[in-house]
Amino acid sequence: MSLSAAFNIVNSAFLSNAAQSAVISSNISNAGTPGYAREIANVVTNSYGGSDVASVTREANSALLEQVNASTSQAASEQALANGLAKLAQTVSDSATSSSASGSTENGNSPSAMLANLQDALTTYEDSPSDASAGQAVVTAASNLAASLNSGSAAVQQVREQADSDMASSVSTINSLLDQFSQVDATIVSGLATGANVSAAEDTRDTLLTQLSQQIGISTTTSANGSTSIYTDSGVTLFQDTPRTVSFTPTATLVAGASGNAVTVDGVPITGPSAPMAIQSGALAGLANLRDTVAPQYQAQLDQIAGGLINAFGESDQSTTTTGLPSLPGLFTTPGASGLPTAADTTGLAASIEVNPAVDPSQGGDVSLLQDGGVNGSNYVYNTTGAAGYTGRIQEMIGAITATQLFDPSAGLGSSDSLTDYANASVSWLQSQNQQASNQVDYQNSVVSQATAALSNATGVSLDAEMTNMLNIENSYTTTAKLLTTVDDMFTALMNAV
Amino acid sequence: MSATFVSTSYLGTALLPTIAQTQSSLTNLEVESSTGQYADLGLQLGDQSGYELSLKNQNDLLQTLTTGNGLVTMNLTASQDALNSILTEAQNAVSSLTTWSASGNAADATLQNLGVNALQSLIATTNTTSNGQYVFGGVNSSVAPMADYFSSTPSAAKTAIDSAFQTAFGCLPTDAAASTITAAQMQSFLSGSFAAQFSGSNWASNWSSASSTNTSNQIAPGETIETSTNANQTGFQQLAEGYAMLSEFGDSQLSSAAQQTVASAASSLITKGLSSITATEAGVGASLQRVTEANSSMSSQMTILQTEIGDLDDVNAQAVATQLNTLSTQLQTAYELTAQLQKLSLAQYLPVS
Repeated sequence: MSLSAAFNIVNSAFLSNAAQSAVISSNISNAGTPGYAREIANVVTNSYGGSDVASVTREANSALLEQVNASTSQAASEQALANGLAKLAQTVSDSATSSSASGSTENGNSPSAMLANLQDALTTYEDSPSDASAGQAVVTAASNLAASLNSGSAAVQQVREQADSDMASSVSTINSLLDQFSQVDATIVSGLATGANVSAAEDTRDTLLTQLSQQIGISTTTSANGSTSIYTDSGVTLFQDTPRTVSFTPTATLVAGASGNAVTVDGVPITGPSAPMAIQSGALAGLANLRDTVAPQYQAQLDQIAGGLINAFGESDQSTTTTGLPSLPGLFTTPGASGLPTAADTTGLAASIEVNPAVDPSQGGDVSLLQDGGVNGSNYVYNTTGAAGYTGRIQEMIGAITATQLFDPSAGLGSSDSLTDYANASVSWLQSQNQQASNQVDYQNSVVSQATAALSNATGVSLDAEMTNMLNIENSYTTTAKLLTTVDDMFTALMNAV
Repeated sequence: MSATFVSTSYLGTALLPTIAQTQSSLTNLEVESSTGQYADLGLQLGDQSGYELSLKNQNDLLQTLTTGNGLVTMNLTASQDALNSILTEAQNAVSSLTTWSASGNAADATLQNLGVNALQSLIATTNTTSNGQYVFGGVNSSVAPMADYFSSTPSAAKTAIDSAFQTAFGCLPTDAAASTITAAQMQSFLSGSFAAQFSGSNWASNWSSASSTNTSNQIAPGETIETSTNANQTGFQQLAEGYAMLSEFGDSQLSSAAQQTVASAASSLITKGLSSITATEAGVGASLQRVTEANSSMSSQMTILQTEIGDLDDVNAQAVATQLNTLSTQLQTAYELTAQLQKLSLAQYLPVS
């Protein structure tokens, strides 16, 4: 060993100190950056006994990252569904009620509450059938019920259209993220090939993956050259060396019965009932579920209620001279209706149901047709003597509200029920979906925050740890400097001795 | 090492979700403590929402029926009062007739006046209205059930009786020729063509506009009862027949024997009418009773419903108050901890060189 060897060692110590300081500085400055994985300087002994920073390792944890991404996807999916359901639930909310003894009718605006109001109005009308104002109250209650169904149907349409346009923006976000990912992936592959530090690029890559998992559920694999491939959670390739095209054509208007377009990757549908490999999570999956399954089902229930109403209040042939005339719409009808709807064919009725203009005084109609029948002409008159106290038709209508009738089981609420029970069941169905989605959002969000905490603890920066390392380096630097002066002194002494 | 490693960014934000959650719970609790109900009923009840709504709807329906029953009670009471006054009138008529028979008086104005007054009173009482509806009209409640017999232009009923008498005897009761009518002839006329005036199509066309169909109302869910009676009941016909006999033949040229026949026929008819009207009144009383029972049963049902609605909707005020306290303590602790944690940094303890 020679003094010059000691100089070399001191020199390498300075270099290694500087390199470690750089790493620490980088860590400290990124302590608050989301997605930043802390770096560790790997110090090794070099050939002449000094120390070198051989490499800088990025403290990544792909398992935890995958968990964060998966839970983010789940949470985003549930959130998209919950947002839509919350909007729908507003149409049936009854939170403004007080259970006072006054028999308030402030039970919200759900079709169910409006139907109950109509029943009450009819019951009052029955007690004074010749009172035009009681008849007018029935027409008003009926109009409110029709309006409630109309607005419920409009809310469903609006939620579906919103979901459709959100899907479009989600798809464009996915495409843009995949493009960015493509560049970052290329940087990593070439960086690894040339031995450059790719930590920053890897941070960007992980952040992009987390952003992507917000929109769509993904899984990833990394090949030997460092290139990452992305697949949807259903196994469709989104990125492998090149980004795949995710395409979607939005639909501006989604009336009842109309279905929106599916999202496709390279022509393969990944949403909708026909998709062979449908995605399970991510905002896109939640929106597609809302648009294609949940909202249409509620629409079908509203349509069934509307169809049931038109049927329940329909008039049958009362004439003794004619036989076999078809039953026709009474209090409730739809514009241009030519007969009563069947349970299997009610699509769009909730949007178009209205109070029959023939009984609505504000449209030139005659309220007394409610008491006597005959909305559809003289063959349908129930009160043939014109007696003022006749209540038979009113009682029949009251009975029809609570009578069991047939519904289409595909709406999800059974096939046979009374109108009131069906309307209540529909409210229950919606609120239960709403409650479940809301609970799921809470749960998934807590999963996300736990996974994020775990990832942050595994890969994040602790300022205290960095500070301690800094002190070590500072000490090492002081000692090295001392060493340098000592060696220098020794050289000086040697030179003086010569 | 990594098991106990805590990153600075997590340390700083660890309590943020707790704080956000606590704050949102606090706003809900504030609403709940001021309204006494869950902040978002739909979210709270979930699939019980429809059940809760059905309870509220049932409660409202019972309330509506109870209110409507007030009107039914009013109509039935009006019927009952009218029937009572008809009964009193009939009883008076019977006792006056007995007095008259006992005194053995011949044809005079007493008998006629008795008949005229009683018939007028019967017609007026039968045309009683309640709430703008004729209570004895059956479903035809908008038309006065009994036509005025004594109108200035002779009523259809009066004309028909006169013509029946003319057909039977060839003269009018006030003609001198009527004195030849024997008691037996009179008896046969009274039970024959005269009696025919008070039943069937003659009654419907000359006397009554009432419908034989009574009004019916729902007084409780699924319970529909007849809530009126009508002037086509036998009692009304018998009374009208008895009174009309007296008013037509009371002060006529009939022989004393024939007169006696009229009086006793009238007395017997009015007595029959009395028992028939009594039965009708009992029917009205029974309906009233059913309405009262329906009301009290609905009232207890509503109490149960409201309790059940309360169980679903209402929050436990004490629990809310306790939760509010707990949460605000928790929030304060979270704030303090966050502040404390921010201070816990090695940088604070390093000597400044």
